[in-house]
Amino acid sequence: MLTATTESKRIKKRRQKLSKGDIAFNIVNYTVFLLITLACIFPFYYLFINTISSNELVRLGRIQLYPRDLHLENYVQVLKIDGIMDALLVSVARTVLGTLWTVAGCAFLGYLVTKQEMWLRKVWYRLIVITMYFSAGLIPWYMNLRNLGFLDNFWVYVIPGLVSPYNVILVKTFIEGLPASLEESAELDGAGYIRIFVSVIMPLITPILATLCIFCAVGQWNSFTDTMMLMPSGNYYTLQFLLYKYQHEAQSLAALVRTTQDANAMANLATKQTSLSVQMTVAMVVTFPILLVYPYFQRHFVKGIMIGAVKG
Amino acid sequence: MKKKWIACLCLAAAIICLFLPAVKIYVHSQIGPETAALFPQTLSLLDLLKPGIGLPADAIPQLSLIETGGGNLIIGLALMAAGLALSLVPVRRRVQPATGVLSLIGAGCPQAAFVVSCAACAFIAAFTLQLMNVSSSLLFALLLDELQVFAYIPAAASIIQVLVTALALKDAEPLPIGDTAWRRLSGALAVAAVAMLMLPGHVVSVPASITGSEADSAAMNRSLTLAQEMMGSEPTLAAIAGEQNVFADVVSGDIAVLEPYSGDVTNIRGIFTIKNSTNGINAYLLGGAALLLLGALLAFLPRVDRWFSLAMTTLAAVLFGTAVMGVMTISDGDMFTSAARQLSKLGLGCVTVCPMLMTMTAAASALCGVMGVRTANVPYFSNPIPESKRLRVTAVALALAAVVMMLLPSASYSFSKPGKNKVQSTVSVYGAQSLIFDVPQDVLEPKDNKGKTMYGEEPKEDLTADMVAQIMGQAANTQSIGIWAALLLTLAGAAALIANKDRRITIILFVLAFAVRIVGWLLLSTQVPRTIGSATATVYTYISLPLLVFAAFFANFAHLEELPKKYKLFLLMLPFLVAVFLFSYLPLYGWSYAFYNYKFGVPMSEQEFVGLKWFTEMFTNPGHRENIIRVLKNTFGMSGLNLLTSWLPMVFAIFLNEVNNVRFKKFVQIFTTLPNFISWALVFSFAMCLFAMDTGIFSKFMLAIGAIDQPVAWLNSGEHIWLKMWAWNTWKGLGWGAIMYLAAIAGIDQEQYEAAKVDGANRWQTMRHITLPGLLPTFFVLLMLSISNILNNGMDQYMVFQNSMNKNTIEVLDLYVYNITIASKGTTLYSFATAIGILKTLVSVTLLFSANFASKKLRGESIM
Repeated sequence: MLTATTESKRIKKRRQKLSKGDIAFNIVNYTVFLLITLACIFPFYYLFINTISSNELVRLGRIQLYPRDLHLENYVQVLKIDGIMDALLVSVARTVLGTLWTVAGCAFLGYLVTKQEMWLRKVWYRLIVITMYFSAGLIPWYMNLRNLGFLDNFWVYVIPGLVSPYNVILVKTFIEGLPASLEESAELDGAGYIRIFVSVIMPLITPILATLCIFCAVGQWNSFTDTMMLMPSGNYYTLQFLLYKYQHEAQSLAALVRTTQDANAMANLATKQTSLSVQMTVAMVVTFPILLVYPYFQRHFVKGIMIGAVKG
Repeated sequence: MKKKWIACLCLAAAIICLFLPAVKIYVHSQIGPETAALFPQTLSLLDLLKPGIGLPADAIPQLSLIETGGGNLIIGLALMAAGLALSLVPVRRRVQPATGVLSLIGAGCPQAAFVVSCAACAFIAAFTLQLMNVSSSLLFALLLDELQVFAYIPAAASIIQVLVTALALKDAEPLPIGDTAWRRLSGALAVAAVAMLMLPGHVVSVPASITGSEADSAAMNRSLTLAQEMMGSEPTLAAIAGEQNVFADVVSGDIAVLEPYSGDVTNIRGIFTIKNSTNGINAYLLGGAALLLLGALLAFLPRVDRWFSLAMTTLAAVLFGTAVMGVMTISDGDMFTSAARQLSKLGLGCVTVCPMLMTMTAAASALCGVMGVRTANVPYFSNPIPESKRLRVTAVALALAAVVMMLLPSASYSFSKPGKNKVQSTVSVYGAQSLIFDVPQDVLEPKDNKGKTMYGEEPKEDLTADMVAQIMGQAANTQSIGIWAALLLTLAGAAALIANKDRRITIILFVLAFAVRIVGWLLLSTQVPRTIGSATATVYTYISLPLLVFAAFFANFAHLEELPKKYKLFLLMLPFLVAVFLFSYLPLYGWSYAFYNYKFGVPMSEQEFVGLKWFTEMFTNPGHRENIIRVLKNTFGMSGLNLLTSWLPMVFAIFLNEVNNVRFKKFVQIFTTLPNFISWALVFSFAMCLFAMDTGIFSKFMLAIGAIDQPVAWLNSGEHIWLKMWAWNTWKGLGWGAIMYLAAIAGIDQEQYEAAKVDGANRWQTMRHITLPGLLPTFFVLLMLSISNILNNGMDQYMVFQNSMNKNTIEVLDLYVYNITIASKGTTLYSFATAIGILKTLVSVTLLFSANFASKKLRGESIM
């Protein structure tokens, strides 16, 4: 009891210590950050309420701050559009496969380049790292993939991502921070390099691998320019690319909307699909996976950035 | 227990999917509205099982031709149910040796469940493949289209059931079968798999009522066995028409009836008349069958290491699997193959389950081999090669592989018409052909794409047929000599290695072979004059070169038991180096386009060399110059705005650090980093909503406060586009950029703050004198990096915001390059764009190095 009162007294004391300037500063500071945060959230919210409200009200511009006449017809109809399911499948497949491939490749390579005894290690390491700083340019890149047979090929989303120098450096730095004795004892037991990597190193570098996974997965999920350039015959479209297409080909989208939705939905103005509603709903469908995994992974990438920042 | 539930769910899902829409129907406009109304919009799998598959066959009798092989689905589902029932039988542990049949049955159930599930998978997969074939066939291309996801669910479910039952095998009691019995079973299954080649893979049945005459339908009703598929002995429809004098009606008259339902009538007509056939021996099937027979033989011989038989049957199963994927699916290439496949391509045939079962039998044979190895309690893959010889054997194997590569197609000659660039015909010559100095006639007498000889007695481009034959003969003979020399050198090297001679001899021989190959390759590209055409090495030649190098590499260590560590590590690294080479360094070769007048689809040897024309044109050609200056202005403008405000994240972090409430801090951090994780396409969606001309909240707000009198097209105008882009960029990147600074703040020594407090520093002073200086190094590094990236501001953002109104002010360098090349059809500016790319890279690298140099000078630390 006694301690509690002294504690509260002390807090009071500290509060009293806050000068007027400090209070003013805090008010301004908190308000500004609140506003910035709201500015970051509001677009997501705004888009969302526009997809679940009556399409007629949306068309008239009367949905601004809160949803009205809720319905989920937009989502039901959008999932019926030709190619959406395929695109979803492609997006998921490239995200999963691409992430596994890149992270596995960079992790193992990161481990290999820490091995001092490798033949000409420095040369190879420099050759890999230097690719971070130059690029051949759009046309040579495109022609190269074309010559290698990657045009209209699903694997172009996955295979070229094997080595990403930045990730390799991250993994290498992390592994170099681990105690060397663990590895040595495994080596004495007669384990080969692959064995050591899988059973000794991998469990120790999971924090950095988690970070890499997030970055790769988000990158894979979000990219759409590669689809645009490398899929000229329209195979293996991704959701993001469909979104881009719908934004820029509103007319063909409107035609598509007319042919896909059924008569019931057409009759009701509130649930009648418009090219805007479809475009917004697809955008929302694209966002949901990120919103779902985001809070869970948020702490991981802060850690990852710290590791990266140490390298500077 | 869980696994059983999964299996139950799988079967349930497969059955439920029977009732869900599996196929979406499109009706061709030519069919007419009344008939079209008879068509359902979607078909479920259940409809496909009914006779007439739920389509109005009365109105259009041809629809009854659609064969989906529904029986396969029914059998498959029944087998799935049987497999499930078997896997549900409780496993009884045998305490004492088997007494009575019942206990044995209980013990074998998991295994039986696995086998039955595999069979179910085969049947359902055959059905699904047939469905895919039908939907992509010519005749019904417009009728049945768009398989929905539910069409694939039964197949997926059956695969999952196979996996589940396979996993259940782990806990199952092993079958009371000994090592020898397993081996014999494996051999028997291998023989059975080969025997299954006699079963039909494609069956075509066309009733006479549909075709013009009995003879036509008789000629069309055929089944193609796998053995025929293997040997490529099935004639084409055109050949049958020629022999039996049939199909005249189909080609001339009846085809008209089919027209409304077909995607491309000329193709249908073509299938019956195409003369040139690509049907050949199926090497995968042939190889698989040979390996299986050999494996079976070895399995029955008791004294041979069981490992060999296992390896062969496994490889055979893989080969069969690969072949069956080709045999069971109808592709565009099947326009030109055998009669049964051509008819399947039309949509008249049906694939059977036999190819699938054959593969499964081969796989089962391999599996029995594994079981045999397991029961014999020998390690799975006991390497039969003693350790001391492994490196030597590797070297010899690589050398032999190189020899095989030399025998495969080694050179490919492309001929073009005299004085023209367009390639008319391409002939590739096998190395094996070269060994007997057998030059194909097509090489000596180049033909054009219509099969006519290009050169006659009359000289064309100063070349007559004799001269061409002489030149080409010489070139081909040079290749022959080269291949002979390389072959002999390689074999001699391998022989020396086997004979345990000094390993230096082998290495020298291998290196010589390598050199000979290189010389041959160089000669190949120079010996054929450009007027005739060009010659290129095939991919097999390129593969043989590294094989030789590796053979020499391993030969060097032939006396050792193990590779030295440093090379072992290097070999592990090699695949990554190859990837880096392929995807990062090989594109640099494309820089050569900048010195040519690059045209699409023309081989590099025939591109027009223009030297530095494109580089000078950037500055001298007024049109180009204007564009370049414009996009550079945009690039520097927008990058510059971002650079000028690159301190914002730092300030953000400093002020966020002053927030005492941890929860609020977290909240701000989580939500301000969120925009970084969404794509620019999505950002544009936000923009379209928020800034829509008359419905967006921004317009509403501006109207409400009276800042504007009437709605403004925010997104479509080209005004202030740099500022708008800067705003979006900041919205997306501010919170994310701050994370790095927050990390740096966490690294600042807390004692400094305490010391400052003791000294009576106020909040501003600590921010100004402790936090800020602590962050400046990070800021400096990031600033330098962004300066060196000033030209690379990416194009995603500008691409999504680009429209015809703002194009002039939004086009940055990257976007401009894309816009003038890949985005515009029939462009000739590829070389120009490449030249821009080269300059851009050079400038970027220079900037980076100067920034690095500056950093070293100023701070004594490099940023790279």
